[in-house]
Amino acid sequence: MMNIEKVMWVEKYRPRYLRDIVDLHHVVESLEAFLRNPNTMPHLLFAGIPGTGKTTAALCIARELFGEQWKSFTLELNASDERGINTVRDRVKDFSRYGRTGLGKAPFSLIILDESDQMTGPAQTALRRIMETSSRTSRFILICNYSSKIIEPIQSRCAIFRFSKLDKQAMVAHIQKIAEKENLVISGEVAEKIVEYSDGDLRHAINALQTAAAYGSGEIDDKTVSKVVGEASPKQVQLMLNKALNGHFIEARKMMYDLIGQYGFSGSEIVRQMQRELMKVSYLSDYEKAELTNIIGEYDYRLTQGANADVQLSALLAQFSRFSKSDRGKVVDG
Amino acid sequence: MTDDRLWVEKYRPKSVSEILGNEEAKTTFINWLEKGKKRKKKAVLLYGPAGVGKTALVNAASNQFGFTIIEMNASDTRTEKAINKVGKPATSYVSLDSFSVETKGNILFLDEVDGVFGQQDRGGIGAIVKIVKESLVPVVMAANDTDLQKLKPLKKVCLLIRFHPVRIPLIITMLRKICLKENIEAEFEALERIACNSRGDMRSAINDLQSAAAGKETLRVQDTILLKFRNKDVGMYDLLKGVFSAESVGEAATLINQSNVDYDEFLLSVSDNLPFRYTDPIELAVACDIVSRADVFRGRVGTENWRLLKYFFNLLAEAVTVSPKSFKPFKFIFPPMRIMTLFWTKPKRAKLEAICAKIALKCHISRSTAKNDVIPFIKILIEKEKSTPIINWLKLESDEVEYLTNMKKL
Repeated sequence: MMNIEKVMWVEKYRPRYLRDIVDLHHVVESLEAFLRNPNTMPHLLFAGIPGTGKTTAALCIARELFGEQWKSFTLELNASDERGINTVRDRVKDFSRYGRTGLGKAPFSLIILDESDQMTGPAQTALRRIMETSSRTSRFILICNYSSKIIEPIQSRCAIFRFSKLDKQAMVAHIQKIAEKENLVISGEVAEKIVEYSDGDLRHAINALQTAAAYGSGEIDDKTVSKVVGEASPKQVQLMLNKALNGHFIEARKMMYDLIGQYGFSGSEIVRQMQRELMKVSYLSDYEKAELTNIIGEYDYRLTQGANADVQLSALLAQFSRFSKSDRGKVVDG
Repeated sequence: MTDDRLWVEKYRPKSVSEILGNEEAKTTFINWLEKGKKRKKKAVLLYGPAGVGKTALVNAASNQFGFTIIEMNASDTRTEKAINKVGKPATSYVSLDSFSVETKGNILFLDEVDGVFGQQDRGGIGAIVKIVKESLVPVVMAANDTDLQKLKPLKKVCLLIRFHPVRIPLIITMLRKICLKENIEAEFEALERIACNSRGDMRSAINDLQSAAAGKETLRVQDTILLKFRNKDVGMYDLLKGVFSAESVGEAATLINQSNVDYDEFLLSVSDNLPFRYTDPIELAVACDIVSRADVFRGRVGTENWRLLKYFFNLLAEAVTVSPKSFKPFKFIFPPMRIMTLFWTKPKRAKLEAICAKIALKCHISRSTAKNDVIPFIKILIEKEKSTPIINWLKLESDEVEYLTNMKKL
């Protein structure tokens, strides 16, 4: 078989043309206007939360500009994976030199820079220069979660598109459509539950659907979805949080080192997940959660200032352990 | 006339009998030296810790038995070329001196041969082995450590003579002798403290004695207090022991300031050991918070604002003395947990990163998104669906599949 079938549903059902994109009508309309006359297309900046179709839109543009050979004219980079601006610079330079410019429908090649808000200020300044020097031969599509993290000079060079949180009903409909194509039975409520759990992230929702389908019988029911949600959400951080909150500092710290060592999580990622898990802890009052959030915030800030993430995380866990012994007692007893 | 040479120079042993300790090593070496042409091996390697008398023995013995020393040490570059330049002539010609009655010929002395490593010294070891083989004169080498893999080829051609740290009473004897000659009245406890602190390193003991006692008429224990951590060989372990048992912030700060350990490692070690020091969660939280602030200062110091380092030190000193009264001896964790964890888990992390890279490529996402959002689903998919399309599609190797199935759930 020529085409290896795409096995991950997120890829299998990734829209191939702009018109297939879920929701986002206003964005799609403007983009299609550019595509009618590619010469008018400026650099683009897509901003929005994960799973709303930013990368998909960029890939669709590439396909519509260059046809099925789009890969030859498109450079896809992920700023959070490429180490430093030099790699980006070199690859962009090489690409704009050797990329097959002008053979497609469009008179330029396309550079898609995903997660570009992960780049530091100086790196972005350098990127701005790259954009200038290669603008004759290339167009950039910058993708980010927060456009405010992109420096002004770059923003002013781009047409900015905001990808808002997807409409819940549109997502439910999409999930049901995929389920139908895969010969699965899924009720409206269950589809809604998946969407609910994914919090506006369509990629997440589709992954959850596929995983639920793997459990079995062809029918996806409420129980299966709950199981998937339970299995696939990170447990380690939650366990670590509970250990610390119950005063077992040394065990909690051991788990923290596991997260860093075995899974290679960064300090800020762990803090982010701790904050998320904290909200789910049932035995804390809202007041206590606010107190602890304050503490997390302080140490998150210190993470950015300090030199060693594990030292800061240890200290944070120690504050949590103390909380169990003193403040919490006070609040509960009094 | 005053003699203001360093005492280690002034009191350098002039004959073999003046060297204290390591009797066995001394005898072996002298026997080897006196055998002349009947030696089984043409070279010896003296090895052991610093300051125990290896170089002193070679100098004293050659002095006593009338050899001329041609010396090379670590300060010379040890490329093959450089070694040949000095080594070859020394080993292949009999010196003019040999016609006089007093001298018995040359000894080629290569000091600190374990300094021979790295790029600059490429071929250095090979050259030394070659010289030993071709040499017409005895070759003596000294090293601080023979466990280095690089020195292996030398072991085959050399007689190995091991040196041990000098026993404390012998060091005290030596220090007393010096005090006598310098007209210093010394308290026994002071000398004992210096001797113990040296950990069998005669040279550093004499240096410490000089810095504590020079120019004085009496030497008391108080004069040696500051010496506690002057010795550069003092380990992290001793520093930790010192600061955690310190009775005040000031004492801890002094110890840290005088130490010479890697302070990033020290920071990690303090952080690691806090929960064993403070069993009370409130004290622990306070101490951890101070360490966290110290770490912030470490971040501010970066690689240029070294001026700020004093705040970093003082905060650490504060952290270890939150409640001096509650101190109970405990077993230290060292080396830092992070270094241990990262070392043991490196292969695992590398595998996970490789899997994430494959997913990232296929799904147009970053590796970190793959790790956080997609891996948990893929893990379940692989476990549930016994079929392999997803494995083939992601081009996962069998060991990677195994890794995912065995991976502890996140």
